[in-house]
Amino acid sequence: MCPMTFVYTKLALEKLKTGEILEVLLDFRSAVKNVPENCKRQSLAELLDVRLVNPKKGAEEWELRLKKI
Amino acid sequence: MELSEEQIERYSRQIVLKEVGGIGQEKLLSSKITLIGLGALGSPVAYYLTAAGIGNLRIIDFDRVESSNLHRQILHYTNDIHRKKTYSAFQKLKLLNPDCDIEIINERITSSNSKELLKGSNFVIEGSDNIPTKMLTNDTCINLGIPFTIAGVLRFHGQIITVIPEKETACYRCVFGDVTIGDERMSCSQAGVIGLIPGVMGCLEANEAIKYILDIGDLIINRILYVDLLKYSFNFIDLYKNPDCLACKKDAIDLVEKSDYGRSNICQ
Ligand SMILES: [Zn+2]
Repeated sequence: MCPMTFVYTKLALEKLKTGEILEVLLDFRSAVKNVPENCKRQSLAELLDVRLVNPKKGAEEWELRLKKI
Repeated sequence: MELSEEQIERYSRQIVLKEVGGIGQEKLLSSKITLIGLGALGSPVAYYLTAAGIGNLRIIDFDRVESSNLHRQILHYTNDIHRKKTYSAFQKLKLLNPDCDIEIINERITSSNSKELLKGSNFVIEGSDNIPTKMLTNDTCINLGIPFTIAGVLRFHGQIITVIPEKETACYRCVFGDVTIGDERMSCSQAGVIGLIPGVMGCLEANEAIKYILDIGDLIINRILYVDLLKYSFNFIDLYKNPDCLACKKDAIDLVEKSDYGRSNICQ
């Protein structure tokens, strides 16, 4: 839930070095858009790709790959 | 330092900020701030710094709560009347955030204990009600090289200045000179004060401390902010270092040991 999806992503990104990749698993549709947007805005990371890993209706999960800036 | 789940949740709304993050939160949690005075200015300072997760907050006051304090000193409640302000404050702050190590000093800060009480702080906030204590804080912090902020209030007016000794910014004494000698300024009990002007100014003092610890934004250095809540004016006046300032000129003597910080004009 917002803003915790971004908070946990941010905390993890802060521990990475530039160029390293973070995989984030999300089960909340609006976070799939908001998390990478906030990462970009704060110059933390760039979105590489999004993958729907669980397409089951009502239990969708997405995997985001973010590259630390 | 690793943030706990409880801390991540508690501080989430400031960790989200670009200017804070987990790194900034850890800086706050490992900082040590000293607050002089638990009255009207000190109340919001103590609340907000504790809430923000300052790791160690040393609070200094010798006074007891009186009913005439309650309209502006929001740390203290009606059932705290006659209690020591430090105990009253400790109780509220511990409930607000058990993360914060609150260290209480039940003493009047004077030239004989000021160095000992302020030593080791990352930042000092002056929130007393009298000019001699503000001067003593100024001189002691400059002597020890500790950054600090001083605010003052009267009626509907407030002023605030921050000093960074390391950057040799203009100090409180550069601006207000030697007012400790025979000065009979009107004290706040005679002039009166609206309850929320120290609230506004105390919040600004806490903001200065947080910004300094996080190294973000612009501080109120080499300038003073005057606030008038009747007219709603917020004005900065540029300040310059006084080359003859007794506290911060090049070969300044140790004022803390030499001055008496006369207490004749102290507002009680
Ligand atoms: Zn000076």
